[in-house]
Amino acid sequence: MTLKDMKPGQKAKVLKINHGGNLSRRLFQIGLIPGAELTVISQHPFKGPVVFELGNATFALGQGVAGAVEVYTNENK
Amino acid sequence: MAVVMIGNPNVGKSAVLSRLTDRPLLVSNYSGTSVEIIATQLKSAGKTIDIYDTPGIYSIKSASAEQQVISELIYSQKIDLILNIVDAVNLERNLVLTYELMELGIPMILVINQIDRARQMGIEINCQLLSQIIKSEVVCFSANTGEGLMELISLIEMKGNKEGKDKGAGQPVTIIKTKFDGNSCNGNCAGCSRSFLEIGAEDLKRAEKAADTARMVTRQTGSQSKKWMNKAQQIIDKPYLGTIILLLVAYLAFLVLMKFIELSEGPISDLLAPVNAVIEKVILTYLPDSIFTTILAKAVPEGLIVPFTIIMPAMLMVSIIMSLIEDTGLLPRYSVVLERVGSLFGLSGQAVIPLSLGFGCRTPAVMATRILPNQQQRFIAIVLLSVVIPCAATLGILASVITTFQASLPVIIVTMTVTLILIGYVLSHIMPAEEVFIYELPPLRIPLWSNLWTKLKMRFSGFFTEVLPLLLVMSIAVRALIESGLLNHLHSIENITKALFGIPAEAFVAVLLTIFQRYLAPLILLNLDLTAREATIAISMIALSLPCLPVMVMTVREIGFKGLFKVLAIGMSTSILVGIILNLILP
Ligand SMILES: Nc1nc2c(ncn2[C@@H]2O[C@H](COP(=O)(O)OP(=O)(O)O)[C@@H](O)[C@H]2O)c(=O)[nH]1
Ligand SMILES: [Mg+2]
Repeated sequence: MTLKDMKPGQKAKVLKINHGGNLSRRLFQIGLIPGAELTVISQHPFKGPVVFELGNATFALGQGVAGAVEVYTNENK
Repeated sequence: MAVVMIGNPNVGKSAVLSRLTDRPLLVSNYSGTSVEIIATQLKSAGKTIDIYDTPGIYSIKSASAEQQVISELIYSQKIDLILNIVDAVNLERNLVLTYELMELGIPMILVINQIDRARQMGIEINCQLLSQIIKSEVVCFSANTGEGLMELISLIEMKGNKEGKDKGAGQPVTIIKTKFDGNSCNGNCAGCSRSFLEIGAEDLKRAEKAADTARMVTRQTGSQSKKWMNKAQQIIDKPYLGTIILLLVAYLAFLVLMKFIELSEGPISDLLAPVNAVIEKVILTYLPDSIFTTILAKAVPEGLIVPFTIIMPAMLMVSIIMSLIEDTGLLPRYSVVLERVGSLFGLSGQAVIPLSLGFGCRTPAVMATRILPNQQQRFIAIVLLSVVIPCAATLGILASVITTFQASLPVIIVTMTVTLILIGYVLSHIMPAEEVFIYELPPLRIPLWSNLWTKLKMRFSGFFTEVLPLLLVMSIAVRALIESGLLNHLHSIENITKALFGIPAEAFVAVLLTIFQRYLAPLILLNLDLTAREATIAISMIALSLPCLPVMVMTVREIGFKGLFKVLAIGMSTSILVGIILNLILP
């Protein structure tokens, strides 16, 4: 499951980033690294961005980027 | 002594510097406010300290434009002290950069800013413990309340004195130069730059250290005040409701602007009329009798009317609106809800920031395109800004021309929208860019009045220093052109302009004049006798043509002469095409 498939209100932990190079570095910089815990706030319609909380900050990622963020929730364990 | 401020975006670097120097700087509640390095001087204890405010970065190891600007500064200047500004609320993430900076070997003071907001959120930070852990000075600070200011100033002074004694003992800064310099990587460059981007074990170790440290020094006390602000944020961040609210706010802002101009125009004209009468008299009595004097006597009062009655109130109101939208934290939220729409133009939602700033004034907006993720997007945004987006001044004067000649507003709006979409679409397909949308949404905040006020002063002072003088000079030139009778000779090309665009030759001159100042060209139109159809075509051609002089200067600065020529070529051909097409399809 990726960040793209999460529902508003759902919490999850980052498993890994399925992308190398620049993108994973940028995600690393905002603190989106394996083990980080996040809560999805909203999924924008028409394949719009995913808004989520990470730490005390709020971020928005486009669908392309969000699809590269593999996560796991407690529910599917 | 040279001090550089470094920190993540939107942590309050500029706000801290404003506090330190007691001087207004642009502070905004969104990432990417300072897109260039600003040098300020702080005089303290008889010493001059140069302080550099930098754009926000997450890491000194990324390949972004902001990061490069900062590296250049660090390596070219002798930096004695780094002020690492961190956000108390997001300590964990901020400390990663802190650990990177520590490896530079430059003396550093850690400024834990926004401590007031952290407290409101029930976060307590033990600055003393933090200082012990990272073995450098730590100040708990609030740019809003001024907490920690005295401590910070004395710490900086202390470092300055130490530096004085150490002089000649060695050059600590240059040592690092080879370490991060891309050029120093001989032979194995591909591998080198790759490992630069890839997250290495070192990076992970740093992140872990930052997380541990943050955990050790922070304590969540639970009590959260300001609950209703959080509620508001939750509503705004809902997809549909949020979009509707944001669009309504934008529309409301537009209405307020229009109403304000409408209400202020009358009283200002009334005040200006006697002043202008005096100016005219003074010029006529004190200057020698000549054609030049006649022109001046007409041109100066005339040249004051538009700037004062329309542009001044428009700039004022746009400054207020922009500051409000920025400081509340709404601006980046536009980029989220408009991300899908933006992708139609080959732009990520972030582009809404420079583009919407462009409606206020396009010159700083061109600079603000630096927040876009890559060069292609920057170019597209600059073209859209230069060619399609009308600034407040343009809008104001175009509106007056439209009403004067009863030109068709719907036709003009449709033309501009279609052009906007077409240019964006074509450009984004000529140079397709990888779409990476990563955006940090700042917390919604209640704007600080003092900050709104300083911003207003800064934005608005441009009216007197740049806009008014330029407008005056240009309107004198325009008046001279009209008086000289040169325009009467233009009838020879009347056949061409009539055939191609369906407008008289003089109106075409107005189109050409946009090279100097777009919002001046319509002045010529006001002096002509145009039909509604001619006015509609001429206004459309003016609205969609070349950037004004200050925008051109800024464009050269940002993307070079080659970039500017491309922009100009696109602008000119757009204008001509628009004229031809409208002439063909309008009844
Ligand atoms: N509550 C609070 N807000 C602050 C503080 N310092 C800055 N801010 C706000 O944080 C936002 C970003 O400030 P700015 O100086 O533009 O950040 P920069 O991008 O790091 O230069 C603005 O909305 C400021 O009003 C502070 O100490 N307390
Ligand atoms: Mg700043």
